[in-house]
Amino acid sequence: MKLRGLAVLIAMLLVMQTAAAQQLNFVACPIVRDTRTVPCFIAEYEGETYYLAVQQDISADQYPPQLLHDVLVEGTLEKGPRVCGGIPLKPVKLSVLPEVNAACNTILPAEPGIEAPPTRRPAGPSTRQPAATAAPAAPVRLTPPFGEREWKVLYDFDSAFLFSRDTRTVNQAADYAIAAKAKRIEVVARRGATLLSNGKVLVEGEAIAAQRAERVVTLLKGLGADPASVNVRVVSAPPQPDGRTDPESRIVSIRVSP
Amino acid sequence: MRVVWVGAVAVLAATAALALAQQTPGIGWISAGATGVLPAQAEYPTPTGRVGLLLSGGPVEMKGHPFFTPLGKNGRACVTCHQPAYGMSFSAEAARDLWKRTGGKDPLFAAVDGANCPNLPQEQEKSHSLLLERGLIRVFLPVPRNAEFTINVVSDPTGCNTSPIYGLNSPTPTVSVYRRPRMAANLKYVTNPAPRIVLKLGALSDTDPATGRPVGMNFMADAREATLLTQARSAMMGHGEAQSVSDEQLQKIVEFENQVYVAQIFDRSAGSLAEPGGPPTLGPAAMAAHRPGVLGDNDYDSVFLSFESWKKGGASTQEQFRASVARGADIFMFRQFWLRDVTHINSIGLGNPLKRTCATCHNHQMTGQDLSAGFVDLGTTNYPRWTEPPLYSDTRDLPVFKITCKPEAQPHPYLGRVIYTSDPGRALISGRCADVGSIVMQQFRGLSARAPYYSNGSAKNLRELVDYYDRRFDMKLSEAEKQDLINFLGVL
Repeated sequence: MKLRGLAVLIAMLLVMQTAAAQQLNFVACPIVRDTRTVPCFIAEYEGETYYLAVQQDISADQYPPQLLHDVLVEGTLEKGPRVCGGIPLKPVKLSVLPEVNAACNTILPAEPGIEAPPTRRPAGPSTRQPAATAAPAAPVRLTPPFGEREWKVLYDFDSAFLFSRDTRTVNQAADYAIAAKAKRIEVVARRGATLLSNGKVLVEGEAIAAQRAERVVTLLKGLGADPASVNVRVVSAPPQPDGRTDPESRIVSIRVSP
Repeated sequence: MRVVWVGAVAVLAATAALALAQQTPGIGWISAGATGVLPAQAEYPTPTGRVGLLLSGGPVEMKGHPFFTPLGKNGRACVTCHQPAYGMSFSAEAARDLWKRTGGKDPLFAAVDGANCPNLPQEQEKSHSLLLERGLIRVFLPVPRNAEFTINVVSDPTGCNTSPIYGLNSPTPTVSVYRRPRMAANLKYVTNPAPRIVLKLGALSDTDPATGRPVGMNFMADAREATLLTQARSAMMGHGEAQSVSDEQLQKIVEFENQVYVAQIFDRSAGSLAEPGGPPTLGPAAMAAHRPGVLGDNDYDSVFLSFESWKKGGASTQEQFRASVARGADIFMFRQFWLRDVTHINSIGLGNPLKRTCATCHNHQMTGQDLSAGFVDLGTTNYPRWTEPPLYSDTRDLPVFKITCKPEAQPHPYLGRVIYTSDPGRALISGRCADVGSIVMQQFRGLSARAPYYSNGSAKNLRELVDYYDRRFDMKLSEAEKQDLINFLGVL
């Protein structure tokens, strides 16, 4: 029994060690690697090069980082061939850190043999024909029964900006609240923290949770959600970061109750 | 009703191309209070040819019309700054000519904002130097109550920002910046409504106070007015120093503005720009006929449509010039470069830098504005990329402000927490540090009639405009490519 328990413990430790080995959190200057098509964004950390993202457009799932800014990389090592000369991370959360760092300013020229992954849009004008870029589909008609639902907006580190993908999320929540004649919309905004792979902890600015709440609530109300139904909770105490789920600590949740 | 209107425009568009070529020259500078009829179709000379004006609602009697009639104490009317002969704006050269002809007595030079500062000796030419040399009008604004920054004056060549009466330390703290009047034409494009949520802000767009509907936030340098109607009221009370303006007058002004279409109609080298079989974007009739709100950043229905018919070239000077214009259109659409450090472009999730083309930002079909709310920080007013001399404390004739972002504010994405600027732009309305230097881009039409360019009038001609972009984005344009772009822009 004791031996069995020890085996389980060892197995758990191995799993945790493997997980820890696969997760990589670091801050670095992004580097632009040009290719014959669109540029890739890579970063160097502890002597290795990692692939972060490729230039796309605003509809992309992953937004690239920015020169003149450090990037916080929170990702999981992905097995497989290098991309743009770097080891891929997937999933990966990239945060453009807000302060300017003039040292982050490297653009590498295109080189034979280094290709960007396929993208929907080339470097020049869009080539997607009207059928693919037609007017947005008619809004989905929301019909009863309406139950309790929740939407989550995840943020870049130290940012309250709502990107296009985020405003779509808030819009969905507002539409649902309106259709369901919600009695209560609970907005909970949180301030995050991140454990880096080198053991250092990054904590977001004190005011960030309040700023996130303010922007989301303003948007919800502006989109027609009943102001009287909106309740806001700001959690300004940062959580204990674990190095694995930290991006989820930078969040605003919107719970709509009919 | 809509069908009738569309049909009427179509008929007008079909006939106007031919009719415009036969028009007599326009009537030149129109003084406030002028009488007579503004014709439905007119052409006015420009340095490279003629600009065409088309009134889709027919000729307009100017006498008593509020667009042409002084409504305030300084004798100005809307037409003072929005001249049909100058692309519904005016050129610095026209202002200099007007000064000479009137001894500086025309209402254009009114002390309130036609001078560098109202407290300067108004009879002296140098008191109006920014208007005479750059075509700039003084815009005076309070610092927003919610400003995420403090603002200090570093350099004040006009004296207005340090004036105890008009400056930042006056009883009503005011920032004076200096901007070009925008062309009051082709406004169905410029006022095209935005989506409810503005991509660049991650927030709701401004709304029309009368209807509650979202507005495009695209027709003033800082997008501070929501609609043409609120702008007209604000302009008459401010620039015109009117005590009051009636709703009926405002409606007539807006009604007039909404029917004005302007584009270059004739070029000395290219010849007629609105002839059958030519590029379909050219001429004011095309502006009237086309529909607004079309995204042109694509290779199948591009921003300024097709110049294919001019590509074949030939032996004649005209054919060669037309081929150059077509090459310029291709450079605009397809020439890739590193588009970088532009607030509200690179900072909205597209990445920095972005390997794209001019059409990425200038994407609204027919005008080359941005279909989204168009304020971006190209860099023209912010040190070190501004259009001024390379010393932060010296722009020679424009003021310089030091903007210091408060610790809790998001800094400017590419300039950080301390910014030197000659015009904070949108930040004077939004109060946001990140908006310092962001200015709504302007339409590309009728350019030949209304130099100089950029909101601060820093590019005396199209060559200087192209040179700035070439430097700013390290485009590595050859001399021939620059000339192609200049020729292209000149015929729009």
